[in-house]
Amino acid sequence: MTSGEMDKILAKAADRALPRGAEAAAIGRVEGAILKDLRPVRPLAPAWVFTLSFVALFAAAAAASASALGMHGLPVLSGLQRGLIFPALLATAWLAAAACTRAMSPAAGSRLGGAALVLAVGVFPIVFALVFHDYDARNLVREGIPCLVAGLCVAIPTGLAIAWILRRGFVLDWSAAGIAAGALSGLAGLTMLELHCANLKAIHVIVWHVAVVLVSGMLGLGIGSIAGAARRRAVSQPC
Amino acid sequence: MMGPRVTPETAASEGLESLMCRYQQADEEAASALIGRVSPLLFRYFLVQASNRRYADDLLQETWMRIHKARHAYRRGEPALPWIFAIARHTGLDHYRKARRFETREKQVAVLPEPAAANPDPPREGPDLDTILAALPERQREVIVMLKISGMTIDEVARATSSSAGSVKQKAHRAYQKLREVFSAGRRMR
Repeated sequence: MTSGEMDKILAKAADRALPRGAEAAAIGRVEGAILKDLRPVRPLAPAWVFTLSFVALFAAAAAASASALGMHGLPVLSGLQRGLIFPALLATAWLAAAACTRAMSPAAGSRLGGAALVLAVGVFPIVFALVFHDYDARNLVREGIPCLVAGLCVAIPTGLAIAWILRRGFVLDWSAAGIAAGALSGLAGLTMLELHCANLKAIHVIVWHVAVVLVSGMLGLGIGSIAGAARRRAVSQPC
Repeated sequence: MMGPRVTPETAASEGLESLMCRYQQADEEAASALIGRVSPLLFRYFLVQASNRRYADDLLQETWMRIHKARHAYRRGEPALPWIFAIARHTGLDHYRKARRFETREKQVAVLPEPAAANPDPPREGPDLDTILAALPERQREVIVMLKISGMTIDEVARATSSSAGSVKQKAHRAYQKLREVFSAGRRMR
């Protein structure tokens, strides 16, 4: 049987099952309700404006918090280390920002938030393993916890600011938006740590600095799922 | 500066994207034309998904209420049909989840009487739509409904379902393979 024959069978079955014009009464009701409440609205700005805004927010949060805490990490990094780490951070942040922008509008393209999070958590350990060669693991937990806490202290307010911008649009999938926002805010925390933390032990950076992105992404997913469920419940309440 | 006035005649021949932009500017003719052109597609989509006329009516209204609330999030120049169907799809999913929640909480308090025997169906030419679609997994069914019942293109379906065109093609291909087996089996039975 050819695809054309199957198309014909489907079309016939659809015409039998779904008579055209059966929806006239429902359309009348919809039209009445919508025309009654018709007011002009200002459309969302182009996607690139939002992507740029998210990247600017990421950079501002990382730079401001690192300045406040002290830029002790930047001077101890070599040219090669800076040249590899910061462009990789910017590229991943751009991807996460694009994911946030896509989450703001329905049908804006395939979801990128998960990809940005997986890329950040997968690529940065490799980048750090390439540029840092001190594998001393003494005091791993004692030195690591303050970095994780400081990174999350930057990531959480950044995530809240991203969520505030996301609300300007119409988010359909809050879980996807949560992962994207969590990944971007986690990257802001990671960037702050690269600027601020002078501890260049490979294991410390791989475990505790990257953990900021992972924890932030998971928090974003959790909060996004809760927000999505709450919104669904609010929408489905009978009038 | 005001745009050109839209009459019902010009609205009928306008693209959905242009109607959507005028709807954002509160143009009544454009809003009516948009509702009139998209609602039959949405209604058929919901009727297939819900298999119930009343549910399809409710879902159509709920979808338009959400579209109305979200109309500022439509960006000029983007394809309008996938944008609308993405909202419709989520409305359907939300109702499906809600219905499942109620079903799991419901308790039968009395034994229902046996339903009366249905009248034998009049002879049909070919299988009915429910039988055809019941053979497909949910995601493949959704793709086939959007492509073949609502008449959308592969790119439009990809946008509406937040997936890639390749993934939509693959689902459609698998669905057709499955349907080919079902139709062939049906022919052998006859």
